[in-house]
Amino acid sequence: MPKQIAIYGKGGIGKSSTASNVAAACADEGYRVTIIGCDPKSDSSITLLRGRRIPTIMDLMREGIDIREEDIVFNGYKGVKCVEIGGPEPGIGCAGRGIIVAISLLKKISSAIEDTDLVIYDVPGDIVCGGFVAPVKKGLVNEAYVLTSGEYMPLYAANNICKGLARLEMTLNGVICNSRGALNEEKIVSEFSKEIGSQLLAFIPKDVLVQTCERDGFSVIENAPDSEIAAVYRKLAKSIMGKRDGKIPVPLDDKRLRELTRI
Amino acid sequence: MPVKKEKEPLIMHPRPSSIVAALYTLRDLDTDVVILHGPPGCSFKHARLLEEDGMRVVTTSLDESGFVFGGHDALVEVLEKVIERFNPRRIGIVGTCASMIIGEELHEAVTQVQPDVPVIEVEVHAGYRDNTKGVVMALESALACGIISEAEFERQKALLKEATMVEKRHGAASKEYLEPNRGDLKYKVAGRLLELIKQGKKGLNILNAKKETAFMFADINLAVAEVAQKLNAGHNIVNMVNLDDNVGLPKNRRNAQEIKGDLKEKGFKIHHTIGGLDEYPVAGNTAERIISEKYKDYDFAVISGVPHALPMDNIKNMELFSITNGPRQVVPLKEMGHTHVVVEIDLHPKTLGVSHIVESEFGATLRELAKDA
Ligand SMILES: Nc1ncnc2c1ncn2[C@@H]1O[C@H](COP(=O)(O)OP(=O)(O)O)[C@@H](O)[C@H]1O
Ligand SMILES: [Mg+2]
Repeated sequence: MPKQIAIYGKGGIGKSSTASNVAAACADEGYRVTIIGCDPKSDSSITLLRGRRIPTIMDLMREGIDIREEDIVFNGYKGVKCVEIGGPEPGIGCAGRGIIVAISLLKKISSAIEDTDLVIYDVPGDIVCGGFVAPVKKGLVNEAYVLTSGEYMPLYAANNICKGLARLEMTLNGVICNSRGALNEEKIVSEFSKEIGSQLLAFIPKDVLVQTCERDGFSVIENAPDSEIAAVYRKLAKSIMGKRDGKIPVPLDDKRLRELTRI
Repeated sequence: MPVKKEKEPLIMHPRPSSIVAALYTLRDLDTDVVILHGPPGCSFKHARLLEEDGMRVVTTSLDESGFVFGGHDALVEVLEKVIERFNPRRIGIVGTCASMIIGEELHEAVTQVQPDVPVIEVEVHAGYRDNTKGVVMALESALACGIISEAEFERQKALLKEATMVEKRHGAASKEYLEPNRGDLKYKVAGRLLELIKQGKKGLNILNAKKETAFMFADINLAVAEVAQKLNAGHNIVNMVNLDDNVGLPKNRRNAQEIKGDLKEKGFKIHHTIGGLDEYPVAGNTAERIISEKYKDYDFAVISGVPHALPMDNIKNMELFSITNGPRQVVPLKEMGHTHVVVEIDLHPKTLGVSHIVESEFGATLRELAKDA
């Protein structure tokens, strides 16, 4: 069975860039990787496809296409299989139902989520309804990671996600700090990780390279392989691929959370 | 290049629901209690009717707050109560539009409660174009629970595919809109049928009915045979029925036996068995083959049940007397070339919870008219 992971965290915190860089780093190591973009924004795989936007499952469904594997699964950097679920126009219909339908379609017509070594579900920041946890509920995710910076609001979101995971009896396999340059950031996130019963896996520095590569349609791994930050992503990828058991997280109360970020 | 699906034409009249189809399938699988996970009124009429067949249907009664906050706890509670109250040997859980849209996982409740009897979970809603989807989903789940065999599953799936095709060709899915129609006057049609029998014309008397509806449709074929016998024309009538009791799910086999028992007792002779009670989409083809070999020159045919599943090739020159229970089936049957079309209104509800043939209006009319003949 492949490693099936989901990366959670506040919107805009860096889930998609982390996911695509980890995917690229794992592909470099020779792993077969699949990335499933579950955000209606459908921006998870763009940097693995040299800036190309692939048709989403929802786009094709809307057009009444008889969807086959080759219409929705695209080979990106070093053979990383890229799928974007997409969604309805903002404010119309039901994006959550879209994810449920797309996931069961994908299971039916493609081996991309089974015949592989790593599947990354890149989910939106806000798990606004039942549909957005469909991959977890359908048993397609066996490891969860939380991405956060050391600031109060991203940590607040991370803590909320832990509440959700605990409710779903889902284990947390590690915390990743994506730095926004806050004071004492690594220490804060490391302490947070410990207190919720997990551990800090990586500290990704804030680096404009991420954004410049992204603008040109590349991951850092592909376009700046010798950069410092590429090495950080590689280390994180190794750590994710290594065997590690997760634990159901114990969320903190808000008072403690505020204290923590005051350090 | 992505290939566009051929756009299915719009159909506006209401049609059978896949949720209800799943419920009936669970009944055929001898399920004791089914939990409908959704709002209290969903599928009410059929849920109630199915209780006539001994199955219990309960609901998790999701309300506005259930839609917003999820219905997991309600499902757990109802599942626990069902086990305690009914002590069932087999449980079904069926989805509804509301619970499926909000992403309810039926299996989570089952995992939590851990009943020690099989639970058939059907994550179905009513938004499928063909209601047979609900049957397939229920059977898939029954297969996963080991309640039916792979072979039976494949057999059913092939039949359902045919059933869907039958409806597309000449049935409820054949037109954008079908006007409901009460059909021809039973009195007149019965009169004409008697006339032909009296004239010594040769006739086919075909039962091709769907599952339990045969309890009433068989009464029509029985009446035809009785009346012919009375008029000393029994030898002119050939009876064909889809009452093979060696195929299908347990209930369908039982029902075929019960109906055959009644027919035998009344002296009805089965000349040809054209299939089982769940084979109505294909039994017509068997009938067609037999007709082309032996009865091509017959003058008339009485077809009760699903007359539109009979190919027209060898019967188009006969005077056709067709009896359906669908008011929306009248127009398509007339267009196919069926001369007389009679509707047994509200037939289905009267065939639930019975184990003997039930009197039909057309059969009664025919018998009554024959008294004066
Ligand atoms: N370590 C980093 N250094 C600098 N910019 C980053 C870093 N990580 C992410 N970003 C930028 O932040 C923005 C939001 O990231 P994104 O991955 O889209 O977030 P999410 O998927 O969590 O909504 C992007 O423009 C991305 O390039
Ligand atoms: Mg994203």
